[in-house]
Amino acid sequence: MEENKVEYNQVQYIVVKIGNEQYGIDISYVDNIVRMQKIIRVPKAQHYFKGVINLRGVIVPVMSIRLKMQLEDDKFTNSSRIIILKMDQALIGIIVDEVKEVVTLENTDIEKMAYDSKEDRTSYINGIGKHAGELISLLDINSVITEKELV
Amino acid sequence: MDVSQYLEIFIDETKEHLQSLNEQLLILEKEPENDNTINEIFRAAHYLKGMAGTMGYKRMQRLTHDMENVFSEIRNAKMKVSAGLVDVLFQCLDALEGYLETIQETAGEGTNDNEPIITQLNAILNAGTGAQTLKAEEVKQDNAPSQVQDNSKFKPLYRDLTLEPQEKHVISEAFEKGLNVFAFTVYIQETCILKAARAFLVFKGIEDVGETIKSMPSVQDIEDERFDFHFSMYIISKESYKTVLSVIQNVSEIEAVVGEEFTYESIQNLNKKQSETSEQTQEAYETSEKESNVSAENMKTPQSSQKAQTNNNAKAGAQKPVVNRTVRVDIEKLDVLMNLVSELIIAKNGLVSVSSSETGENTQGFHEQIEYLERVTTNLHESVMKTRMVPIESVVNRFPRMIRDLNKKLNKKMELYMTGEDTELDRTVIDEIGDPLMHLLRNSADHGLEPTEARIQRGKPEVGSIFLDAYQEGNNVIIEVRDDGNGIDVNAVRNKAIERGTITADQAESMSDKDIIDLLFLPSFSTAKTVSDVSGRGVGLDVVKSKIEALGGDVEVKSKLGEGSVWTIRLPLTLAIIQALMVELGDEKYAIALGSIQTIEDISVHDIKYVEAKEVIHIRETVIPLIRLDKVLGIVKDEEQPENLTVVIVKKGEKLAGLVVDNLMGQQEIVIKSLGKYINIDKVISGATILGDGEIALILDVNTLV
Repeated sequence: MEENKVEYNQVQYIVVKIGNEQYGIDISYVDNIVRMQKIIRVPKAQHYFKGVINLRGVIVPVMSIRLKMQLEDDKFTNSSRIIILKMDQALIGIIVDEVKEVVTLENTDIEKMAYDSKEDRTSYINGIGKHAGELISLLDINSVITEKELV
Repeated sequence: MDVSQYLEIFIDETKEHLQSLNEQLLILEKEPENDNTINEIFRAAHYLKGMAGTMGYKRMQRLTHDMENVFSEIRNAKMKVSAGLVDVLFQCLDALEGYLETIQETAGEGTNDNEPIITQLNAILNAGTGAQTLKAEEVKQDNAPSQVQDNSKFKPLYRDLTLEPQEKHVISEAFEKGLNVFAFTVYIQETCILKAARAFLVFKGIEDVGETIKSMPSVQDIEDERFDFHFSMYIISKESYKTVLSVIQNVSEIEAVVGEEFTYESIQNLNKKQSETSEQTQEAYETSEKESNVSAENMKTPQSSQKAQTNNNAKAGAQKPVVNRTVRVDIEKLDVLMNLVSELIIAKNGLVSVSSSETGENTQGFHEQIEYLERVTTNLHESVMKTRMVPIESVVNRFPRMIRDLNKKLNKKMELYMTGEDTELDRTVIDEIGDPLMHLLRNSADHGLEPTEARIQRGKPEVGSIFLDAYQEGNNVIIEVRDDGNGIDVNAVRNKAIERGTITADQAESMSDKDIIDLLFLPSFSTAKTVSDVSGRGVGLDVVKSKIEALGGDVEVKSKLGEGSVWTIRLPLTLAIIQALMVELGDEKYAIALGSIQTIEDISVHDIKYVEAKEVIHIRETVIPLIRLDKVLGIVKDEEQPENLTVVIVKKGEKLAGLVVDNLMGQQEIVIKSLGKYINIDKVISGATILGDGEIALILDVNTLV
């Protein structure tokens, strides 16, 4: 995947829906997408961690992007999914309302975000993609996952 | 040909021999006349020398060679064992261990010659044997001429080599550049077992000083050991003939080297007049006569070229330690594993046949197979865990030596008694437990035991005793370090703590002696060496504690002033699998390690008493604080408080606590899994496990709760 990115200047994104917005997740981080399942609460963890799930014998922590972005709590529906991301050999799950499609974005389709944006939560995004007349906010996976709590 | 494939074996065996040398030397110190021990040491030293030589570790070889010399004299009753000698020999062992460590990290032995130790050894040897050395020298001189005579059978076989045109071209080019051209025939001792290794070392040595342009047999054949006990080669080098010769002679088990230096003319003549060699032969013989002198020199001055070689090795291995962490597994354990795996296959086949013949009503066969499968997997699990178990001996066997050294250093007489060295622990635990144990032993030796005079005054035996006992207790292994020294002066600790502001005087009043002693484990206490009244007790004890707690264990101390102290380390048998009690809180499931559970009680709400506004229960004459797990873990419950509470009484060392749970689910063997690094978990949760139905239960760490 990494190679593709360099060679063709294009990246594949999984488009998901959280609330009214569409978000894109770089497909090279995605290990798996699973249906909603029972999440075991972990006491005293960060508030945006819903808990852990059992992914074929591996225990994977699951975080709520909504809570992390200070949106209202998730309402699990039939189309809710957990996207399992792989970072430095460790797995982590994030909850999304709906998985829509996979799109390929050229470099030219992506508008880089300016970081001086006033709103805090925009710093989870490192660009905006344009695809078929719609806007896709591209998630900066690193900043979503890492600990840094925004004030 | 590469010796690195033998490196692991070499390291393992060297360790074993060093350990046995250590043990035997300790015996020898007490019984200087013990022939068996002397023979044993001689053998071990000899073996070490041989192995070091084979691997090309010159410095190690030289040191062990000198050790062997000393013991050979002792064995022949020409010398007596003295205390000084034993001290020097212990230094030798330390030096050898130093080499081994360097080898383990870099594959090279480093550049430390340990010259002082060798000088001391030789001094002892000379002093002890006195007259004999003269004789020995005579013998050597006798040998020398015969060696030269022997040389006549070492022919300069390189003359039989025919050089190809392009090789001649290379040679003439070399002359143009002002390089020297040599030819050698190397004879390896016929007793040599790894002649290819020797040849490899010769070539490797030459690589550092020059270039081999032709060899007979070919390098490939030599690597595959397809040669007799000699080989010949042409070398281009900018070094002098002497240097190159000494490089070759530096390799052990070389019987002789015949060689000569060529001039441009001589090389031209060589091929033309291969029959007329008598003159040159003469010359060659002369060089080989010189050789004995050269080799004598070599013994004294380490060769720069060799240094270069070891340096190269060091560079090559610098990236990572060359030896992997390994566990030596008893073959019987492996056999058991093998059997279990075959049973597993049988069980699988059983299931397959049941499922294919299944008509719907015969579920009994199916259940039987499942039960069989369950039994096999449980056994398999157990056996795999057993292969990870290592006897604690591998850690504790270095302690007698340490105590002996402390004996001398502290000028106190003491003796270490060990039991239960065969107690087994998980490999990961074994690796970590060495330092804490050493610390506790040093502590006992240094601060626990009184000076000899004080002991005599108090009517104690002059020699202090330190005990190290290991044994298994349920799912734990207990290691006790005991001494019959002075014990801990609780008042001195208390005063010190108040003085340092660790506790207030009021607090000190209400603290039990045990609580006071526990202060020793506080980091603030240990870093201060100024606790003079208790002679610095507590230094580094916090490290001991944190290390042991990191392993899932705990450490306790009991002490009686004037009679000694007992340090008790409690460690889990293994880190990966535990027996646990499953409990329910609300609709969540938690596991509590069975090892820490004392009893389970049914308590009426009315039996709860209050002490300092905290809930306690009073059963069987003990007051036990209650911990409401649902509150600690933030579990939301809306139901009314029930009349009766189920309380799991857990124990951490001497402390008890009652954990209030909603429901008991039963006992289960669980596999501990980590929760991943992104989620921040409180210390209360030590991990998670997956239950039979795929659900996750979190594991409660009782040690942090209590």
